Amino acid sequence: MTEKSFTWRAGGLLLPGLLFLAALFAWPVARLVATSFSDPAGAFVHYERIFLDPVYIRVVGRTMALSAEVAVLCLLLGYPLAYQLNRSGPLGKAIILLCVLIPFWTNLLVRSYGWIVLLNPQGIINGLLREAGLIEGAVPLVYNTTGVLIGMTQIMLPYMVLPLAAVMSRIDPTLPSAARSLGASPLAAFTRVYLPLTMPGILAGLLLVFMLSLGFFVVPALLGGPRDILLAQLIDFNINSTLNWPFAAALSTVLLGATLALYWIGDRFFDLGRLWGTR
Amino acid sequence: MTDSRKFLHRSATRRDLLKLGGAGAAIIAAPSVLRAQSKGEIVFSSWGGSWEAAMREAWFDPFTEKTGIAVRSVPGNSYGRIQAMVESGNTEWDIVEVLPDFQWIGAEKNLLEPIDFSVVDRGPIMEGEDLVTEYSVPQVLFSRLIAYNDRLAPGPQSFADVFDTEKFPGKRAFYTKANGAYLEAALLADGVAPADLYPLDVERALAKLSTIRDDILFYETNAQGEQYMTDGQAAIGLIPDGRALNAKRNGAPIEIAYGLSFLTWSSMVVPKGAPNAEAAMQFLAYALTPQAQAAIAKAYTYGPVVPEAFEMIPQERAEILSGGPQMRDKAILLGEKWWGSNLAAVTDKLNAWKLS
Repeated sequence: MTEKSFTWRAGGLLLPGLLFLAALFAWPVARLVATSFSDPAGAFVHYERIFLDPVYIRVVGRTMALSAEVAVLCLLLGYPLAYQLNRSGPLGKAIILLCVLIPFWTNLLVRSYGWIVLLNPQGIINGLLREAGLIEGAVPLVYNTTGVLIGMTQIMLPYMVLPLAAVMSRIDPTLPSAARSLGASPLAAFTRVYLPLTMPGILAGLLLVFMLSLGFFVVPALLGGPRDILLAQLIDFNINSTLNWPFAAALSTVLLGATLALYWIGDRFFDLGRLWGTR
Repeated sequence: MTDSRKFLHRSATRRDLLKLGGAGAAIIAAPSVLRAQSKGEIVFSSWGGSWEAAMREAWFDPFTEKTGIAVRSVPGNSYGRIQAMVESGNTEWDIVEVLPDFQWIGAEKNLLEPIDFSVVDRGPIMEGEDLVTEYSVPQVLFSRLIAYNDRLAPGPQSFADVFDTEKFPGKRAFYTKANGAYLEAALLADGVAPADLYPLDVERALAKLSTIRDDILFYETNAQGEQYMTDGQAAIGLIPDGRALNAKRNGAPIEIAYGLSFLTWSSMVVPKGAPNAEAAMQFLAYALTPQAQAAIAKAYTYGPVVPEAFEMIPQERAEILSGGPQMRDKAILLGEKWWGSNLAAVTDKLNAWKLS
């Protein structure tokens, strides 16, 4: 929307939404941030603990690393899916969309327990591999980082596939053909024409998946191993077990800050705003 | 006496209503009926599920029959919600069942009403450090004990066996929170005497834990711990006794090593500003009578916190209960008060260990 198109009537229509966001989002977030500085022992005690105690830095680091891994896995799986989604007829489209979205709509706990049934050492996948004589014992697929990656990638896939497919649908399909007719190999036509054109979708998908993964809680708790402690689990512990809300608020503020910083980088350098139609 | 007064009051109300009769009278009487109802209900926040159903049968309904005070049970008894309610001045719960660390955490945060010990008789409650505090009474006993899969790892008898993966190969299922008794178990396995456990030597416990590091499966919920044992994913587990008995009852090859176990309890507290604190105290008094304690121990596999109740429980049932004859002298009471003030610090250390 440009400055010119703003009218008071449109402003009036905006008002309820703005009030809603202010009361139920902006105000609570402001309160949360304020709580994190509210300790009588000093405004920054909780931030000192987060940044000086190696445990918290490690958890922040692990949370970031794991979220990045999920984002990359989603890209590797989602790119061909989005490509095929774009080329398929109505039936193919429906099938691909259903396969991507049904797990996304399924209850988190049910889906996680479903993965445990499939992946655990006595589970279906290991059983099949044993019967086929491919392995002895079991491949450790769950209760470790592998399990977390599998579970999270499945849930996050739509956030990658949908922006990618949206970008791909806007690419003129004759462009790669033109490149081919001008002598480019199939690989060159892809890497030098098609891939660069889908870059906004790739970046949007990576950023969306990454930022949403930062707050994950149930999946790492159920499918992960002892080392898979993520920031959201520590926030929950401090809210529900020790009632140290100022510290939980400080952890949340760090998570929020990291998310906003990444969004800013994405918006500043990769022009995400245009992709989402905000400018 | 309070109970009988309540009862008289209630029947008087009924008689009045009958006498009045008629539509017009009903309208006049309506506000007083509403008042009587809102006065006559307590809200009990519980862990839900089959446990809630057992309490309904053994405690809630008999209590309502006796006093006329209805008990409404609601799920979601998290500490965070208690704090949120109390701090917003909008307490909806009269009684909450909690783990014992909350006796101190909740009191320190000023979230609890003191228990009225002129109504609640603490005399018959089992002796033991900290079972009763100014702000809490115990509810039932349970244990964290060694359960094992008889096919995978038959016959571990001590905590040393739990930490001996050569003699008993297979995964170990431990609760993910620091106060799941496995630090205590590690110290006992390492040769610490039960009397010298607290304050816990956390570094020593973690060093012992490191010796079986790759064989530990941490469970997030007790249901998951039971599942690990039932599926055979874990060969040995340190799990609540009720869960082990349940797995066994459902046909899993799970046995319990009764040799040595950790005894703990759940507590009942009244959150600050509870709408019907007075009736809540009456309920606590009722739930701690030997009769009510025997009833709950028969309805669910938790031990009574009132020893007298065992006189009303069949021998065969008593054998399997926490605090019962089979476990009584060999159980170690968990240092819940120590945990109340050390949970955060130990969790930091445990997380550092998990991440290393």
